[in-house]
Amino acid sequence: MKKTILFLGLVITTASLFAQKKTTTSATVSFDASTSIDALPKADNKTVIAAIDPQTGLVQFEANVKNFSFANPMMQEHFNGEKWLNSNEFPKFTFKGNIVEPSSVNFTKDGSYKTEVEGLLAVKGKEKKVKVPGTIVVKNGSLAVSANFSIALADYGITGAPIDGGKVAKQPKITVSADFK
Amino acid sequence: MSKVKRPWLKKLSIAILVLIGIGAGIYFYKVLERHPDTKNEKAVFTVNAIDFIREFEKDDKAANKKYAEKIITVNGIVSEMEAADTTVNIKFIDTASGSYAIFAFQERYVAEAKRVKIGDSVSIKGSCSGGVLSEILGTEFITFKRCTLNN
Repeated sequence: MKKTILFLGLVITTASLFAQKKTTTSATVSFDASTSIDALPKADNKTVIAAIDPQTGLVQFEANVKNFSFANPMMQEHFNGEKWLNSNEFPKFTFKGNIVEPSSVNFTKDGSYKTEVEGLLAVKGKEKKVKVPGTIVVKNGSLAVSANFSIALADYGITGAPIDGGKVAKQPKITVSADFK
Repeated sequence: MSKVKRPWLKKLSIAILVLIGIGAGIYFYKVLERHPDTKNEKAVFTVNAIDFIREFEKDDKAANKKYAEKIITVNGIVSEMEAADTTVNIKFIDTASGSYAIFAFQERYVAEAKRVKIGDSVSIKGSCSGGVLSEILGTEFITFKRCTLNN
C-alpha cells in the first residue's frame, strides 16, 4: 500500500513538473546572411529568453537585437543602424506561437520528436506569421528544442543595395536552440 | 610631329591612383577588422551589479543611453550559471525584482568562465548591449557580449 502511494505520488509530481511552463535565458539564435561575395554578415546571440509550456504547446522567444555578436565591428554597426534593424527604436526580436500538433510530442516520455511551431515573428516592428519545423528532445525531465528555417528580409521591410548587390542574402538562415532544465 | 606635353595629366593620374589606393586600403581594413580582445579594452564604467540593474529598472531609456555599446566592468556575486549551446553564461540577479544582467563570453574566455561557481564574487568586463523589458518574464534583462573575467 505504501509503495503504491509512493508510486502515485512520484507519477503526480513528475506529471505536474512537465505541465509547468519552462524558461531559459540562455537560448541561442544564429543567423547567416553570408553569400559567395561576402562571408561577414553572420552573428549569434546566446542570451535569448525562451519559454515552452508543455500543457498548452505555447512557445516563445525574445532576443535583444544589440546582443547579436558579429566578428566584424563595421558589420555590427550596420546591422544595428537605422537602415537595417534600427535597434534603438526596435530593440527586440520576438516570436510567440504554438506547437501545431501538440500530440506529436510526448513530454513525459524520453525521445526525439519532430514537430512544427506556428506563430508570429516580430522583427523591426513588423509581425509576420511563420511556420517553423523543429525538433524537441525529451530526456530525463529536460527539453532541448532546435529549429532551422529562413526568413525573407523584405517581409520585414529590410531592403537595400547590399541585398540587391548580393552581399547580403535575401533569405538568411536562422538556427535556434534552447535547453530547458 | 612633336609629342604634346601635359604635365597636369600625369599629376592627375598619380593623384587618382593614390586615392584609389587609400580607398582600397580603408575598405580592406574595415572588412578585415575584428573586435579587439575585451581583456585589453579599458572599461568606460565600473559598476556594482545590483545598483546597475536597478538603474535600468528605474529608467531604462536613460540607462541605455549611458551604457549601451560601451565596455563596462560589473562586479557582483554570481546568481546563476547557464549553459548556452557549448558555452556558459553568468548571471547577476536582483532577487527583489527578478531583473538580471547576463554575460556571454568571448570564445577564448569560455573555459575560465566555466570554472566560476554560483556564489563566487567576480568582476566581469564586456560590451553592454543595453536593457529591455521582457514580456515573457516581466522583468528587465540586460545583456552583454564578448565578455571576459577581470583578474
